Amino acid sequence: MAYNRLPRRKIAAYFADELLAGHDVTRQLAAYLVETKRVREARLIVRDIEAALADRGVLLADVVSSRDLAADTKDAITSFLKKATGAHDVKLRTSVNANLLGGVLIETPSERLDASLRHRLNQLRATKI
Amino acid sequence: MPELVVNDLSKELRDAIQSLDVSGDLESVGIVTRVGDGVAWVYGLRSAGANEVLLIETKSGTVEAFALNLNEDEIGAVLLGSDEEVVAGAKVTLKGTILDVPVGEELLGRVVDPLGRPLDGGPAIKTKHRGLVEREAIGVLGRKHVHEPMMTGIMAIDAMFPIGRGQRELIIGDRQTGKTAIAIDTMINQGRQKSGVINIYVAIGQKLSKIARLVERLKEEGVMDQTIVVATGPSDPASLLYLAPYAATAMGEYFRDNKKHALIIYDDLTKHAVAYRQMSLLLRRPPGREAFPGDVFYLHSRLLERSAKLSDELGGGSLTALPIIETQAGDISAYIPTNVISITDGQIFMETDLFNQGIRPAISAGLSVSRVGGDAQTKAVKSVGAHLKLGLSQFRELASFAQFGSDLDDATKHQIERGQRLTELLKQPQYTPMSVWEQVASIYAVNSGAFDKVPVAKIQEAKTALLTRLWTDHKKDMEELNKGEEKITEDSKFAKLFDKVATSVAKGFEE
Repeated sequence: MAYNRLPRRKIAAYFADELLAGHDVTRQLAAYLVETKRVREARLIVRDIEAALADRGVLLADVVSSRDLAADTKDAITSFLKKATGAHDVKLRTSVNANLLGGVLIETPSERLDASLRHRLNQLRATKI
Repeated sequence: MPELVVNDLSKELRDAIQSLDVSGDLESVGIVTRVGDGVAWVYGLRSAGANEVLLIETKSGTVEAFALNLNEDEIGAVLLGSDEEVVAGAKVTLKGTILDVPVGEELLGRVVDPLGRPLDGGPAIKTKHRGLVEREAIGVLGRKHVHEPMMTGIMAIDAMFPIGRGQRELIIGDRQTGKTAIAIDTMINQGRQKSGVINIYVAIGQKLSKIARLVERLKEEGVMDQTIVVATGPSDPASLLYLAPYAATAMGEYFRDNKKHALIIYDDLTKHAVAYRQMSLLLRRPPGREAFPGDVFYLHSRLLERSAKLSDELGGGSLTALPIIETQAGDISAYIPTNVISITDGQIFMETDLFNQGIRPAISAGLSVSRVGGDAQTKAVKSVGAHLKLGLSQFRELASFAQFGSDLDDATKHQIERGQRLTELLKQPQYTPMSVWEQVASIYAVNSGAFDKVPVAKIQEAKTALLTRLWTDHKKDMEELNKGEEKITEDSKFAKLFDKVATSVAKGFEE
């Protein structure tokens, strides 16, 4: 029943702990979502699990750039994220999107740093000059 | 394509580029999961605070919202603009502030929406200060008892239910009984009497044509320069209707905190409660009595508690509130009316029956009360109007009793006749607020018995003749009396003057 639903945060905390213990939880999570008719929330729960992992010091970050990043840039981003979030383990998922025009867009489960050229130009447009 | 030369860039553009946010910090970001009916549900933003402003990115810019429900898994936020552009999946960031509005003298004479944006077609409003929409009320030590009069110019109110600066006096009654008329007359009176009181009129879901008429009238009367109108119409989102009184109070508090006096009229809080009910139900808060949420009392108590008379240490400014509540078929025991009656320092109850009998303002002498205004009443008015309320209530009782028999003793007959003349005297057309001396002279003339032989139908004419004669022949005395500091006792010079003039005026109207 609706009011007995477990909050996503509690589910995420359990699966994060399981993941850190080295267990494969994909099938278990899928079964749980089907059983509780919460398949539609899958994306949010995955994101919540990522946030729970971040709370435990394991940070998954998406890095989007306009062209491939050099290894030392990736290292710089990793050390920046370690410093900014206090995480001890940072994993980057990089991708390329030419629409950014330049710079990078870093997204963690709950935060974002948009240092792309597109964002700055949008900001400039918002000032209506 | 011409080559872009950096030197050609205007200074403004260069400044804008320099001022771009280049801080290398991570910002919290959430996602809209559902949106509809002016409410957005946001995933993430775990650090958001209650009432904090959220910025939702849309294709055509950002839409502001404020967080009202902070649940474990999501935030329920009420949009301050249209929800047409907001889509599921839109990014949401925190503005880092709770809602605030522009406040200050720059707003005087303007018609604005609850966010301080002009609605009168005038230039953009640039103020030096901003005020928090939600703010805690002043504590006990920061207050002083209500002791200065806030003259409404309506004789029935100033004589029987005086209002003081810093008081909260409810105006309650059915539709079309003259509630707003009292509020407007009070605003006009502040201009006529040059009291220096700033008027703030908050229209909550009122018809825009009514607001336009009001603004026109205030301009005609010359009081718009000391008035701020905060307007919301029936087609505005519920969030704006909900915010309107709080935003307007923030504007009033600026004057209160700067040693000035302000008067704020909430027209009306019934619609405000309905807007809040709509928001609460959409936010899935549990409904209670009449489907209002559990905190509907707090909704109005925290609003009205901000109206106060400040202590001398804080400058002695004041914010007087005249909330309006509309009842259904005179039922003052409904949920919202009882709530607001218990919060305010008294109420002026308007009766449909009196209104239909032509007794306007249709103020019920029996059900109306002012709990703190006695100390604030002008001495002159107090001395002549001391027993007015009791006399009038007794008259209404006797009059209904006397309908069944014609054999009445002389004392009762006399009381009924006096009561009829008093009732007639207290009739007052709209937009004609009276000054202190006019009120004192009129009440004295009837109370002293000078008008006893004037037919009831001619009381108003006799009153006008008396006032004209007094102003023509004794202008200086009346100006002195208008300060209101002198008590009218039987042997005071004013009493003698009134007796003399009223008796001679009455002779012209006797049958």
